[in-house]
Amino acid sequence: MKRGKLPGSLIGVLLLSAVLLGQVPVDWPMVHGDYSGRHFSTLKRIHSSNVNSLTQAWTWRANPGSGPAAGGGATSATIKGTPIEVNGVLYTTIPDHVWAVDARTGREIWHFSWKSKGGWHIGNRGAAVLGSTLYVETPDCNLIALNVADGTERWHTEICDLEQFYYGSVAPTIVKNHVIVGVSGDDLDIPGYVESHDPETGKLQWRWYTYPNPNDPEAKTWPSVEAMMHGGGMTWGPSAYDPELNLYYFGTGNPQPVIAGRGREGANLYTESIIALNPDNGKLVWYFQASPHDTHDWDAIEAPILFDGEVNGQPRKLLAQASRNGWFFVLDRTNGKNILSTEFVKTNWTKGVDAKGQPIPDPKKEPQYDGALVSPNQGGAVNWPPPSYSPETGLFYVNATRAFSVYYLYDTDVKPEGWGGNDRGGWSESMLEAIDYKTGKIRWTHKWPASAAVRSGLLSTAGNILFAGDNASNLIAFDPKDGSILWHSELRSNMSNTPITYELDGVQYIVVAAGDTLYNFKLP
Amino acid sequence: MRRLGFQNHVLIIAVVIVLAAEFAAGQAGPTVRQVIDNAAATRGRAVYAQYCINCHGSNVKGGDDGPDLIRSVVVLHDRLGNDIGPAMKKLSNHPRDLTQEQILDLSHFLHQRVESTSSNRNTNQPPNVLTGNVAAGKDYFNGAGKCSTCHSPTGDLAGYGTRTTPINIQQNFLFPRIARGGKQTEVTVTPAAGAAVTGTLVRIDDFNVSLRGVDGQTQTFRRAPNVKVDVRDPLAVHHELLDQYTDADMHNIVAYLESLK
Repeated sequence: MKRGKLPGSLIGVLLLSAVLLGQVPVDWPMVHGDYSGRHFSTLKRIHSSNVNSLTQAWTWRANPGSGPAAGGGATSATIKGTPIEVNGVLYTTIPDHVWAVDARTGREIWHFSWKSKGGWHIGNRGAAVLGSTLYVETPDCNLIALNVADGTERWHTEICDLEQFYYGSVAPTIVKNHVIVGVSGDDLDIPGYVESHDPETGKLQWRWYTYPNPNDPEAKTWPSVEAMMHGGGMTWGPSAYDPELNLYYFGTGNPQPVIAGRGREGANLYTESIIALNPDNGKLVWYFQASPHDTHDWDAIEAPILFDGEVNGQPRKLLAQASRNGWFFVLDRTNGKNILSTEFVKTNWTKGVDAKGQPIPDPKKEPQYDGALVSPNQGGAVNWPPPSYSPETGLFYVNATRAFSVYYLYDTDVKPEGWGGNDRGGWSESMLEAIDYKTGKIRWTHKWPASAAVRSGLLSTAGNILFAGDNASNLIAFDPKDGSILWHSELRSNMSNTPITYELDGVQYIVVAAGDTLYNFKLP
Repeated sequence: MRRLGFQNHVLIIAVVIVLAAEFAAGQAGPTVRQVIDNAAATRGRAVYAQYCINCHGSNVKGGDDGPDLIRSVVVLHDRLGNDIGPAMKKLSNHPRDLTQEQILDLSHFLHQRVESTSSNRNTNQPPNVLTGNVAAGKDYFNGAGKCSTCHSPTGDLAGYGTRTTPINIQQNFLFPRIARGGKQTEVTVTPAAGAAVTGTLVRIDDFNVSLRGVDGQTQTFRRAPNVKVDVRDPLAVHHELLDQYTDADMHNIVAYLESLK
C-alpha cells in the first residue's frame, strides 16, 4: 500500500477517526499508538492462530558511542522509550540520542547526539513527530526539534532549570499546534509543571504548575504557600488526549519532600493526581487525586487510558489508571468523577476511600523513624511501563507487582527537605492481570514464575493477542481472553519498554526493545 | 592552605568544570557544579552564623524574616559567590562589606547544604529502630509468629544481637536471603515419562526450568502441561508472614533478636 507523507499529529487524529470508521490504521505514530493511550492496535494479520509462526526479522542495536556522552551523559544505552513508526521509519531514543531506523529492514538511517550539560540520565521515554519535525527532551532541560529526514537540528529551547535539579525525560505530546512537555526531578523541593511550545519556533505558549493558585480552595491542602510552591508533582509520565472533548490528560508525581511529610500536612494538591487540561490554554478542567498526601514516592504518572464503555447500562466516556499505589481507578473523563476505585493488588496503606473515591492514607503507614512495613514498595504495584486496554475483550491489562519494604524517616528537622527518608529491602512477586473495568474484578491472572518485579509494557491487538515481557528475557504472546500462552521468543535481556506494531506493504511487524536492542518480528 | 583571591576564580571555575564533569553521569543537577571545599564551608558556616542566621535560620531553611536558602534560585545558580555576592549588595538589610574570601566561604557552605539535601535519600540512616518490647518480641517469636519452629535463640540465633546492627536485624528477618551454603530453593521435575528429578533451582520461567543435581550437573527441562514442576522455597514462610506482621510485631521482634547477646 502506497501512502503519502502525513504530519504526525494529523495521523494521530486520523487514527482515532479511522478507528471510529472501522478502518485499520497502519502506523504507530506516537509512543502510545494513538491519543487514547490504550496500547491497542486494530491490526490483525498476526493473530492468535498464526502467532506461533512469528519469527525474528531483524535486530538493531543502539550505539551511542564509547564512554559517557559529551558533557557527562548516558552510560547506559537501555531503550526505555517506546519507539514510534511514521511512514516506514522508526524513531527511537535514549538520553541525549535519537535514531531513525528503517522500519522494514532495521537499517540505521541517521543518529543525532546531543552534547549534554548534565541532568539525570535515567531514561528517555520517547519522541514525537509532527510533519517533518521530531521533538525530544534531553536530560539537561532542552526540548529539541530535529528534521525527520536527516536528524539535523532545527531549534532547541530550554524547558526547565538544570540548576534547580530539574531534568528532561518525557516523551512530548503533539496536540494540534502544541508541543506539550513535562519535567522531572525530585532531589530538591521544586514544583512540577507541564508547558506547551509552538511547533515551528519552540516559543512557550503556556505553562501550568501542578499546584493551585494561592486563593483557590485547593491551596488549603498545603500548610503554607511556600510548601505548596516547593511541593513537587513532576510530570514525567505519559499523556492522553480526547479530540472530541479537547481535553489533555496526564498524571502528576510525588509531593516534596518525598518521604518526610512533616511540613506539608494536607492532601497536597495537585500532586499524585490525574489531571485534565485544556490544551489550548493550559487551564485546569478537573482533577482526581490518586494518593492524597503521599509519603511513599508513588507517582501517579501511570498512563491514563481512554475508552468508551458501559457502566450500569449507560454509555460512558471513561478514563482508567492502574496507579503505582496499587489502586485501579475508573473515572468519567468528561468531569473526573469517580466511577470505580479498587485495589488491583493487595495493599496495606489505606483506611478505605473517601466520598470522591480517593484512597484515605493510614497515618500509621507513613514512614516512621523506626520503620513502617508498607505494601507496595517504592517501586510500586506498577511503574512507568504502560498497560493496555482492549476494546474487543473489554479488559484492562497490567503487569502488576506485589511488594513490601520498610519506609524510614531519616530527617528529624522540623522542616525536612529533599527526601528526608527512604525505603529499604523488600520482597516482591509479579503477575499479569486482566481487570474488568466495570467491576474491578481480576478476570484472569498469570503469575510470573520468578519472584521479582516485572516491568514491561503491554500491547493488545485485534488479532486476539496480548504481548508482554517477563523477567526472564521473554517476549510472550497471550490469549487476552483467558491468559493462556500462545507463543514466546527469548530476547537477550528483559524487555525495557513496550511492544508496538505497524503494517508496511501488507506485512505486520512487532517491535520491542530489550536493553540496547530493537527486535523486529513478522510472519514468514 | 593559602586562600585564593577573586582574580583566581576563573582558574577555580575551570577546575570545578573538569572535576564536576567526571562525576556528572547519573547525578541530578548540572554537570558544571561547585565542588565543595569543606574547609571553606566550615569557615562559611561561621560567616553565616555572624551575618545570616538571624533571618535565614539555624538550618538555612528560612524563617519569618528571610527565605529558605537551600531552595533559593540565586544560591542554586551561584558558583563560588558570583551570584550571592552581587545579590547581597543589591538587597537591603544584607551585609555589603563582606570580603571576597568571606563570600567564597559562604558560597561553599550554602552549596554544601544544597548537596547534602539533594542526596539525603541515600546518605542518612534511620535514627533508631530499636523501639520495641523485648518480652513481647519473645512472645511473638515463640507464639503467633511460629519463629521457634525453625529458629532457636540458643542455636542459629545465639548471640545474634552481637553480630549485626538493629536495622540489619530488622531487614534480615523481614526479607531474608538464601545464604550461600544454606538451604536452597529446591525443585522437583516430573517428566511425562521417566523418573522425577530433584535438585537446586537454577532458573525458571514459563518455558524452561533448570536445576542442579547432587552431582553438580545442571539439567534443563522444557515445561509442558504433562511436565510437573514443584518448587519449594525455604523462605516462603517468611514471605507469608509479611501479610501478618503488625508494625508493633516488627519492632518487638527486632528488640528481642537484638537482646540475644
